[in-house]
Amino acid sequence: MIEAKQKKILILAVRAGELMMKSGAEIYRVEDTVTRICKACGIHYVDVFAMQTGIFVSLDTGDENSDMYTYVKRIEGVSTDLTKISELNRFSREFTTTDLSVEEGMHRLKEISHIQLPPFPLRVLGAALVSSFFSLLFGGGVLDFLCAFIIGAASYSASRILGLYSINFFIRGFCCCALAAFLALSISSMVPGANYNAIIIGALMIFVPGVAITNSIRDFLSGNMLSGLARATEAGLVAISLAAGVGMVLRLWYSIGGASL
Amino acid sequence: MMTLFLQFVFSLIAMLGFCVMFHVPVRHIPAAAFIGSAGWFLYQLCLYFHVSTIIACFLASCSVGLMSDIASRLLKDAATIFIIPGILCLVPGSGMYNTMLALVNGNLSQAAATGSRTLMLAGSIALGLLVISAAIRIVVSIARKAVNIAAKL
Repeated sequence: MIEAKQKKILILAVRAGELMMKSGAEIYRVEDTVTRICKACGIHYVDVFAMQTGIFVSLDTGDENSDMYTYVKRIEGVSTDLTKISELNRFSREFTTTDLSVEEGMHRLKEISHIQLPPFPLRVLGAALVSSFFSLLFGGGVLDFLCAFIIGAASYSASRILGLYSINFFIRGFCCCALAAFLALSISSMVPGANYNAIIIGALMIFVPGVAITNSIRDFLSGNMLSGLARATEAGLVAISLAAGVGMVLRLWYSIGGASL
Repeated sequence: MMTLFLQFVFSLIAMLGFCVMFHVPVRHIPAAAFIGSAGWFLYQLCLYFHVSTIIACFLASCSVGLMSDIASRLLKDAATIFIIPGILCLVPGSGMYNTMLALVNGNLSQAAATGSRTLMLAGSIALGLLVISAAIRIVVSIARKAVNIAAKL
């Protein structure tokens, strides 16, 4: 019977870690959560090794004749959902301080995993606000503000559509920025007085790899060199894909003979 | 000064957009938006006083790190929730674009100059966060020890 309980604890801890990792938490936080949950259930020996792509956990109760359990969980598809991180953080604190049973914990985790992102139109509005106000910050006028609002919404929707077909992040960033640059150039060639520089910068800010940069630094700082390096590479690749998308469109526009750059 | 204030307001609204995109918990949206736009304000303030962009970016990312840590302790939540939206304002999207523009125009020397400046800006964001979180760790561990010693006395 003891073994069945251990298995449940293991599944609970790994599930919590997996949800955290999928919402874009740092390695340190994931490992800490898994360890705390296992220790709270009275398992003395816990070792966790987490990366963006998987979690490895070993448990041992410390008895002479008990087996050691190891579980490997492959993680696919990382996004950013800060509400889930916050809820999981609170859950792990609650689980360790109060005597919540494993079944109740599993139930809570299921609730947390069903938390939805804000409705899609709201997120598009958010992206449009980001792009339009950044175009103002980078020297755009009222006209650029309006253009950037529309273009930001369009390129964020495009990123979502490409995401539905599970196209990888490099191609996605490339296509979305190419679309944004193309729309900005065509609008500015039709509407006199629109400044396409400010519009394109505004649209770029939606896709900029800020999460990867932040997490890579925090991973390096807590000594997880491997994931720090992986995330730094991801940030670099995203930046290159965005720049390449914009650059390709600018170059094509220039060679076809649109407005001179 | 007026433009600085306007910049603050604009970045505040842009930060609200980021908060929605990354699904910051509703109760933390005011704090997260304020931290991000305060970082941007500090950046612009430094530029206003003719500090170099790299130092300005470093100081701004330090302030974002510090404010996020304080907010995470006050509101009892993970610091990441405040840092991720806060840092996004400072990421040099315009530098990336200008590098690409120079490259497309065949102006290689300008592209190299802007490109290296962009990389340095990204590095200074990283360095700012690193320095501040290392400093916080040291301060917190010293404070813990002091509390322990005081408890023993």
